[in-house]
Amino acid sequence: MAILEALLIDLTLRVTDLQRLNAILGDPQTSALITGALVAFAAALPGTFLLLRKLAMTTDAISHTVLLGIVLAFLLLAALPGLEADLNSPWLILGAALAGVATVLLTGAIQRSGLVKEDAALGLVFPLLFAIAIILISRLTDDVHLDSDAVILGEIGVVWADARSHCLQDCDEVHITPDDPRAETGRRCTNCAELDIGPRDPAAEFEEYCVNCGRYTAAEAWRARLVSRAPTQVFWPRAITSMLLVALLNLAFILLFYKELKLGTFDPALAAALGLRPALLNTALMVLVSITAVAAFDAVGSVLVVAFFIIPPATAWLLSDRLAHILLLAPLGGVLASLTGYEFSRGNLLGIAQMRDLLLLLDKTIGLDGFIEWNTSISAAIVLMMFLFFLLAWVFSPRQGLLLSLLQHRARRQHFAEQLLLGHVHHHQGTAEAASELAQDRLHLHLGWTPRRTQRVLMRLRLRDLVASEDGALQLTARGERSVRRFMALRGAGGASPAGD
Amino acid sequence: MNQTPALHIEDLTVAFDSRPALWDVDLVVPEGVLMAVVGPNGAGKTTLVRAALDLIPRAAGSVRIFGESVARARGLTGYVPQRSSVDWDFPTTVQDVVMMGLYGRLGWLRRPGAAERLRTRQALEQIGIADLATRQISQLSGGQQQRTFLARALVQDARVYFMDEPFAAVDAITERAIVTLLQELRARGRTVVVVHHDLQSVPDYFDQVTLLNVEVIASGPTAEVYSEDNLRRTFGGRVAGIARLTEEALP
Ligand SMILES: Nc1ncnc2c1ncn2[C@@H]1O[C@H](COP(=O)(O)OP(=O)(O)OP(=O)(O)O)[C@@H](O)[C@H]1O
Ligand SMILES: [Mg+2]
Repeated sequence: MAILEALLIDLTLRVTDLQRLNAILGDPQTSALITGALVAFAAALPGTFLLLRKLAMTTDAISHTVLLGIVLAFLLLAALPGLEADLNSPWLILGAALAGVATVLLTGAIQRSGLVKEDAALGLVFPLLFAIAIILISRLTDDVHLDSDAVILGEIGVVWADARSHCLQDCDEVHITPDDPRAETGRRCTNCAELDIGPRDPAAEFEEYCVNCGRYTAAEAWRARLVSRAPTQVFWPRAITSMLLVALLNLAFILLFYKELKLGTFDPALAAALGLRPALLNTALMVLVSITAVAAFDAVGSVLVVAFFIIPPATAWLLSDRLAHILLLAPLGGVLASLTGYEFSRGNLLGIAQMRDLLLLLDKTIGLDGFIEWNTSISAAIVLMMFLFFLLAWVFSPRQGLLLSLLQHRARRQHFAEQLLLGHVHHHQGTAEAASELAQDRLHLHLGWTPRRTQRVLMRLRLRDLVASEDGALQLTARGERSVRRFMALRGAGGASPAGD
Repeated sequence: MNQTPALHIEDLTVAFDSRPALWDVDLVVPEGVLMAVVGPNGAGKTTLVRAALDLIPRAAGSVRIFGESVARARGLTGYVPQRSSVDWDFPTTVQDVVMMGLYGRLGWLRRPGAAERLRTRQALEQIGIADLATRQISQLSGGQQQRTFLARALVQDARVYFMDEPFAAVDAITERAIVTLLQELRARGRTVVVVHHDLQSVPDYFDQVTLLNVEVIASGPTAEVYSEDNLRRTFGGRVAGIARLTEEALP
């Protein structure tokens, strides 16, 4: 990890300078912001495939059961001699990945046994594994910092607390020996304690010794003024490293195996027949989901992480029906939701309104008993933003949006009403009863419409030069005739005949 | 016929929860024939196709494709699954689905390029759905979905095809198009095994037929095995008009 971080720092310093980097990462708020965006990015990629495989709830299960993997791996490490049980050990990730795969396999086995239905199998497996994990945590790891509350809820704000300083320059350890010019000598009484006398007693004997000899880290040496230059240090929260790695891993996996994942999701039988191993790929996907869930624990907790996997892809799916576009939109949307969600947690709703003002307003109108402080969990605020984006996409989606279908419905109704009126004119013009049937002021009676509606439809038809009136009776223009004929032909061919009202 | 058959199945048994779906099936499909697999619902027709492609485990028996194991003959087989087997809401287009037929030849990691796009285009034109190329697949009619699957099988350019009910719920025009395609494939020396439900058209469309009901009742050239007696044994005498069917078919 430390080496990787050094590498990351090196890369980052190529695009920004040290001062700015320390200003960004040294601020708990901006670290939280970056972590949240990384979680959203990392989760949306495998999340898209989970959504397409109808595995949304499996994700939820995995994000809980990986905890058992972590705990078991931790206990195993503690039991093995020579290995140190450390909460940042990469072995824990392995345990988590195994637990995630085990969840999927176990659920599948119970499903195939036919004892219970699909979702019920999940409902059996996941609370079982999660409950075992919670019991193990509370019974066996009393003295360890592994808090079930923290795991379940998580809080992005605290990721900053777990950070490391990396030294880049003037990092040498300083070793002061008695003959070093910086060594300071002092005198001390050698027999004072023994004889129970003070240093001023004539019997006291003294020796010279070195006061500041010993080893100093670069930072200690600077503080003790032993070196003239301060070491150059970078402050780097651990969560950023792990989330960045996971995000890159997920991105690489999906870029490399895009084609295989696509076919394996759409038509596993063909994928198998073509030798593309869909089952293996599926397992790999589940491993990535488990790792992502674990890495996201600190930041967002196991309850909310499923939202990061599922909501942005679901939103993207509303906006596009091309897999490649969804895979592009989902992480972008997730990151955007993180940024706005972060602002929202501080009371800024999309730059439109301040939550404080809203709450004050509510307090005045309906009375909130003075509950006007808006200071909320960042991860919860992000999830709310994701949901808000989802709603917006649902309303405005060009594909299956609420607004669009309302507009289309309206347009269809209008079109149909127009054709109905044209048809009526077509049917009666030039006949004996034309004068009474087509008189403008009596038209609504024949059609059974309100006068207002009849006027509106007529006006639209006139504007488009489809009807004209002669002595108060309506007549089709040449264009109107063509329009009627087209419409009839369409219906004759069994084509789309729009529903009336 | 001493050449290697396209498909050679011996003693194949497949069971689900120790209930056999296929029992001791022996089947030989010579190269270059169109063969129908006929049998009642639940007879194991889909299971036969899936077992022949190694998509489900066998309880016993062996499958050889051109004398090779199925795994080694992957590049030689093409598969048109039952239409209901995929999620048509999947965010992908007709040309994408057709191009998937080329993924096997591309192998791992390689992306489809210009050659693949060209091949896809040709198949779409041949099947008559070129104008639907960029449609999302849920916006297709049943017959168009079937054509999409066929185009996908076509680009696989396999030597032996397995098609599971390609004629299910298609109109007369699409049916003709499929038959034409089958005949073209045969003219190019391809072998096609088709799960088929319309008993009437079997003698018109297929050279050979396998009557299946868990066991193979009969298998061979249509003129020899497609008899009233065999059909009765396959469908348990439950099919009205079997006599009329075979009389018409076999003058
Ligand atoms: N995955 C499965 N698990 C358990 N039983 C199965 C499974 N697939 C098929 N079966 C059973 O195996 C038998 C054969 O099924 P199969 O799908 O091969 O029939 P089919 O001949 O294709 O029928 P249809 O004409 O309805 O398509 C049936 O009894 C079916 O219930
Ligand atoms: Mg079937």
